[in-house]
Amino acid sequence: MVLEFQKPRPIWQIMFSTHHTDIGLLYLISSLAFLFLGGSLALAIRAELFFPNIEGTGQIIADSMTFNRIFTVHGTTLIFLFIIPFASAVGNYFVPIMVRYKDMAYPKLNAIAFWMIPPAAVLVWLGFADFTWYAQPPYSIISAPGPAADMWIFGLKILGISSVLGAINFVVTILKCKHPDMSIGQVPLLAWSFLVTSCIIIVAIPTFAAALLMLLTDRLGISGFFNPAMGGDPIAYSHLFWFTFHPEVYVLVLPAIGMMYEIIPRFSRKPIYSYNSGIFAFVLLAIVAFSSWAHHMFATGMSFTEKTVFMVGTLAAVPASAMHVFNFIATMWNGRIKFATPMMWAVGGIALFFAAGAGGVVNSAMPLDFSTHDSYWVVGHFHLFVMGTIAFASIGFVYYMFPYVTGRMYNETAGKAHFVLSFVGTVLVFFTQHVLGLFGMPRRVFDYPPIPEWIAMNQIASVGAMIIGTSMVIFLINMIYSSAKGELANIEDPFGLGGKYYYPFEAKNPHH
Amino acid sequence: MSGHSNWPEWIYIAVVVALMAWVGAEAWNAERLVEHVPEGAEVIKVTAQQWFWTFEHEDGTKEIGELHVEVGKAYKFEIESKDVIHSFNIHDYVVLMDAVPGRVNTVWFAPTDVGEHAIQCREYCGLLHYNMRGTLYVEEPSS
Amino acid sequence: MSDKTEHTANESKQQVYRTTPERTGKMMIIMLGICIVGAIVFFSLWDYWIATPAPVVAMMAGEAEHAASAAATGKTITQDLTFIESSDFRTLAFNALPNEAGHNPTIQMNVGDTVVFNVDNGGISFHSFGVTKADEGFAGIIPGSEIGAASNPLKPGEGGSSEFVAGEEGTYYYICTVPGHREQGMVGEIIIGPAQGGSSGIAAAPTGVSHEFTLNFVESSDFRTLAFNALPDEDDHNPEIRVNSGDEVTITVANMGKSFHSFGVVSNPEDFNSVIWDSAIAAMASPLKPGEGGSTTFVAGAPGTYYYICTIPGHALQGMQGSFIVE
Repeated sequence: MVLEFQKPRPIWQIMFSTHHTDIGLLYLISSLAFLFLGGSLALAIRAELFFPNIEGTGQIIADSMTFNRIFTVHGTTLIFLFIIPFASAVGNYFVPIMVRYKDMAYPKLNAIAFWMIPPAAVLVWLGFADFTWYAQPPYSIISAPGPAADMWIFGLKILGISSVLGAINFVVTILKCKHPDMSIGQVPLLAWSFLVTSCIIIVAIPTFAAALLMLLTDRLGISGFFNPAMGGDPIAYSHLFWFTFHPEVYVLVLPAIGMMYEIIPRFSRKPIYSYNSGIFAFVLLAIVAFSSWAHHMFATGMSFTEKTVFMVGTLAAVPASAMHVFNFIATMWNGRIKFATPMMWAVGGIALFFAAGAGGVVNSAMPLDFSTHDSYWVVGHFHLFVMGTIAFASIGFVYYMFPYVTGRMYNETAGKAHFVLSFVGTVLVFFTQHVLGLFGMPRRVFDYPPIPEWIAMNQIASVGAMIIGTSMVIFLINMIYSSAKGELANIEDPFGLGGKYYYPFEAKNPHH
Repeated sequence: MSGHSNWPEWIYIAVVVALMAWVGAEAWNAERLVEHVPEGAEVIKVTAQQWFWTFEHEDGTKEIGELHVEVGKAYKFEIESKDVIHSFNIHDYVVLMDAVPGRVNTVWFAPTDVGEHAIQCREYCGLLHYNMRGTLYVEEPSS
Repeated sequence: MSDKTEHTANESKQQVYRTTPERTGKMMIIMLGICIVGAIVFFSLWDYWIATPAPVVAMMAGEAEHAASAAATGKTITQDLTFIESSDFRTLAFNALPNEAGHNPTIQMNVGDTVVFNVDNGGISFHSFGVTKADEGFAGIIPGSEIGAASNPLKPGEGGSSEFVAGEEGTYYYICTVPGHREQGMVGEIIIGPAQGGSSGIAAAPTGVSHEFTLNFVESSDFRTLAFNALPDEDDHNPEIRVNSGDEVTITVANMGKSFHSFGVVSNPEDFNSVIWDSAIAAMASPLKPGEGGSTTFVAGAPGTYYYICTIPGHALQGMQGSFIVE
């Protein structure tokens, strides 16, 4: 794989390059940096919640304001500064190669889209707002202090624009710039996942951009969209927000599924069970994604009919996700599987994806949601998606990309150790949090009453979080050390899979 | 384009769809029953504000942070908020409804046993959201 | 994992460039440097980032601040009001439709007087009641004067009572607070004249006498009960403060609780927005954290019964209030 054009290039040339591999690399490095930063915030949260604050003991963070800011920035960072840029990294690096084109359709726009991320990240991190990553009014209008809140709004505005620019690039590259001999039905599923994801972004993000602008003018007092004292309705924001962010969770997950579609057939040494099902499931999921947003709002006082409509919309998305799971398992069935590190991550990701989805079905069943809404069940549920599925697939893909990008191999033992610890830790934290939610613990709490069951489960979760933290340290060291001094990789076949079955565009899969 | 048989996939999808349909139907039915407020339920006005709960009974009695109700009677909560969105939650009785400023939301319940239960806020509302708690006292009927 | 330098190529296809430890090291140092610089900037301005409430908060509170604080030192007037509607629902009013006797009665009162409103809904629609200084719209309702609210209105046949104490001369309005109803006619004037009788409304000249008081914010362990200095049933709970008009008062507060507090003297313990005599220490937007304290010095104003409270919403109601009597 071509990594470089010229011999040692100065760093500034790489930074301001518009070539897709360079930009992919910049996205990759920055997104992994934010993975670690956001993850550290999570460790702070779990450390604080290890003990309830009885008589002043067990309190590590100074006050609840700081805690609220920590979990706000934790969520914002990991979603907007890790998951989405990481998907951009993978897409930028591989999509042009997969469609056999020399670069993305708009290379300069691509660079601009990346460079919007650092200033936005600075705005979010310096301000450290406290109103959760939802920024729900009226709290975010009348109660959240500035300039942190306003900086967050501006930061997210910029990130939204960056996403849309990237999405436009992907759609044009895949549809218009693919090799003339390649039909759309031959484009690899990873590229398809980016195509579909980009379409969702283009439709969904503008709604949130509007909502952010309205939030800002409400804060300035010039408008009263969401402020009841000025005649507005806070639930309007909820609708706008979730209309974007329910499809957005599919924006987060589809690239990860696409990454699994790269890893699983390779390491099973078998072609994908059904390429067509994969495409169908992607497209169906993208469409159905827009029909379920208000399942986040079941407790706001919606009418019975509204709730029913959104419950049906939510359940309708399940078969599409299930198709992917079937596809993965059927691909692995009877394959000669090599359980190298990327494959372990992908398979672990599938298992946790299934668990996350199962928990989600509980949430979508209306009366059951009144038990789980805004409790730790929800925290466990969505973390099984973002950590258990998306982060697992992403990290697995980092290991998969590693030899291609750096020309060296990472340490396989450390990679496997990273997986085992992360998997154990993830299960410990997030499965436990489902139960904790059933016991009633609300989310976004700095402290909790000393109920013995709650204490026990919080402690289990915190231990799990520390295990994940340890594994991430191993990951960091492995990545840095191996990229500088790792064993040279056999670029033809770094994982020893045999056959010429590793370059996406050279796959000799007879089914393609 | 694939040369393999795919009846397993079709069966799998059919099973998943059937399962979802069943979940949806059961949920629809349960919610329909849950939302029907019984006749003669006593109205309690719940006011949420940062960061405590106040209650007002039909006869004008006001309580702050605590709510005394009688076993075996149905109560309908009319929930409102004075500032930001809160959420009124008695977890043990699965009472959960947002307190949204600018509207009144209703939810009902009928306590079945004497006891004490926690009232908590289930929507982030700022500094003391974690401590926006109260106690529900379910008592024997006085008369 | 950054850029590449040439290395021994061991494959036939293409040149593979791999990075060196030096360049990787450089990259790590740059990233760490960015984090450290950012951390320095963030922590050195720790309080700044969350210091300012949104501009709209000042705008919303500004309405309430215009309504002057009032001490009930005068007489009490009772006013019965009924919401009525024209049959085409185009015109709304209190007591009688336009051109009929008793339509939107004007209330005359003096500073220090109290009006008790007995309001009932004689129409077929929903209404709610409040007194405001604003000459249009439904904002700035003075706490204590409201009966119902737009979000929880009086249904036909329902009613209630509220009070309004006049704190300053001028024209106030009693309105229906459902948006639009004022514009459709549900508004009446309250004309307030100067205070009656001797010294009841006038502050004395500075006497030169100084008092000092120390008040600590305390909380019960279940956080259900809040107070100054001691919890109920203990000594020195919410001590009464008595001074003469014109005396200089210095109050020092300390936050002995685990929550956030702030201080101010008000004339209406439910109205935490209208702190009088510049007596505020901190405020809801930037409160005293546990362990913090502050002090304020002010001159006691007109004689009357006032209250010192914690100005965090709700805390006065939960017990953080005491009497501040000026003689």
